[in-house]
Amino acid sequence: MATAPTTLVIATKSGIGASLAKRLRDRGDSVLHTDPSLDLADASAVADSLRSLVGSGTVDRVVLAAIDPSAFRAAPINSLTEAEWDQAAEYSMRAAFVALQQAYEVLADGGRVILILPTVATTGVADLVPLCTAVEAIRVMAKAVARRWGARSITVNTIEVELAAFMLGDEDATDVVMPVVPVLGQSALPPGSAIDDVLGLVDMLATPAAGAITGALLVADRGTVMQP
Amino acid sequence: MSGLQGLMEGRVVLVTGAGAGVGRGVSAAFGAAGAIVGIGVRRPEAAEETAADVAAAGGTPVILRCDVTIAEQSAAAIAQLVVDYGRLDAVVHNAVSGRSSEATDFENTTLEEWEDHSSVTVRATWRLAVQAYPHLQKTQGSYLLMSSPAGIEGSERAPFYSAVKAAQRGFVRALAREWGPDHIRVNSVAPLAISPALENMKVLEPERVKRIEGLVPLGRLGDPETDIGPPSVFLCSDEARYVTGQTLVVSGGRFTSL
Repeated sequence: MATAPTTLVIATKSGIGASLAKRLRDRGDSVLHTDPSLDLADASAVADSLRSLVGSGTVDRVVLAAIDPSAFRAAPINSLTEAEWDQAAEYSMRAAFVALQQAYEVLADGGRVILILPTVATTGVADLVPLCTAVEAIRVMAKAVARRWGARSITVNTIEVELAAFMLGDEDATDVVMPVVPVLGQSALPPGSAIDDVLGLVDMLATPAAGAITGALLVADRGTVMQP
Repeated sequence: MSGLQGLMEGRVVLVTGAGAGVGRGVSAAFGAAGAIVGIGVRRPEAAEETAADVAAAGGTPVILRCDVTIAEQSAAAIAQLVVDYGRLDAVVHNAVSGRSSEATDFENTTLEEWEDHSSVTVRATWRLAVQAYPHLQKTQGSYLLMSSPAGIEGSERAPFYSAVKAAQRGFVRALAREWGPDHIRVNSVAPLAISPALENMKVLEPERVKRIEGLVPLGRLGDPETDIGPPSVFLCSDEARYVTGQTLVVSGGRFTSL
């Protein structure tokens, strides 16, 4: 009898990654979720954490949704100290590298890596330069990794959602300070649940039929940002 | 490069990583356009050839010690240009890590290697912007980043280089919106050209370079001065006054679907 696939979710304590982990768990999937307090830019801590979660086995899917919350604070770049720039922009890039590198160690051949990012970098948003910088770096890092890991039939893809959906997931927005993002387009489709949209894509990417999709960007924003 | 004549007459430009390769070629092109060219280099003695190129092309070379990973050096380079010439019209950030031509063993490398790339290409991109901002605001100038096609396609052998060059593209899009009200334009060029990295590759992996050349519809790698320089000058000139937030891929047709 085939064992149920296991998904490792590497995510911050709130937002779409945490919501996705909960939804997967609620429906009975086997889910491993990294400790939200884990410093994702600490390679040895992440390695220890993943090995502790996974044991001597492997995982079938890795979902990575980890942008440092400081990146969501809207501010002109001129107002940032170097430490603030580092935390808002470069920390998330380091974390993505470490998470991907360590995830590789616990992934089964033929596994699926799915990164979830906000759409902001596709258009660029004033006062969110660190976030846009980090997101584009991580998206292309994923493409490079997709090329590297293809030999093991591991696919690496990115799903992008609107910033609010990324930050909140299923959570209530009342306690969260949302950056003001200018309206860059109107959604073509009626409003819906971003978490359902993402869950559908995560499931689709896990199917054997999606085994030829790698290095791709899937934008689940109901047709708000349509790339040229 | 007679087509560039006068495009940047009397304008003051800082080019980082200007001692060789694309930086040297772009500096010469700005010289041909009549600019005062701040040749930003880590070791001033390595800038003599670039200075000669700029002067021969008709520009005014100014050699500046400018290791972009040292905040004081980039600030001093900008300050010297402003003090000596009264203005700053453009910054071209071209410097890259000395390890940019090396393959990265992503699965086994450390954050130390990441830092090598990030400090030059990400942190310095931000820092130069902050340092140049008040001066570019006065001249309604231009900030140009030398990105790379690798930052769009994601290179298997260079995942760190790809990521930091992609970071610059995200930076460009966002900062173009942020600085638009100040009429400062922010763009990038993604060149495929002979560079010190490719020169190294020619020695280390000649077959790889031949393979790359074979993939270019125009049949050759770009020349830094005559192929990459003119589009770079254009983007910093008044001729591109309505162009911002863009990445111009200058690759002889190698990359058409980016």
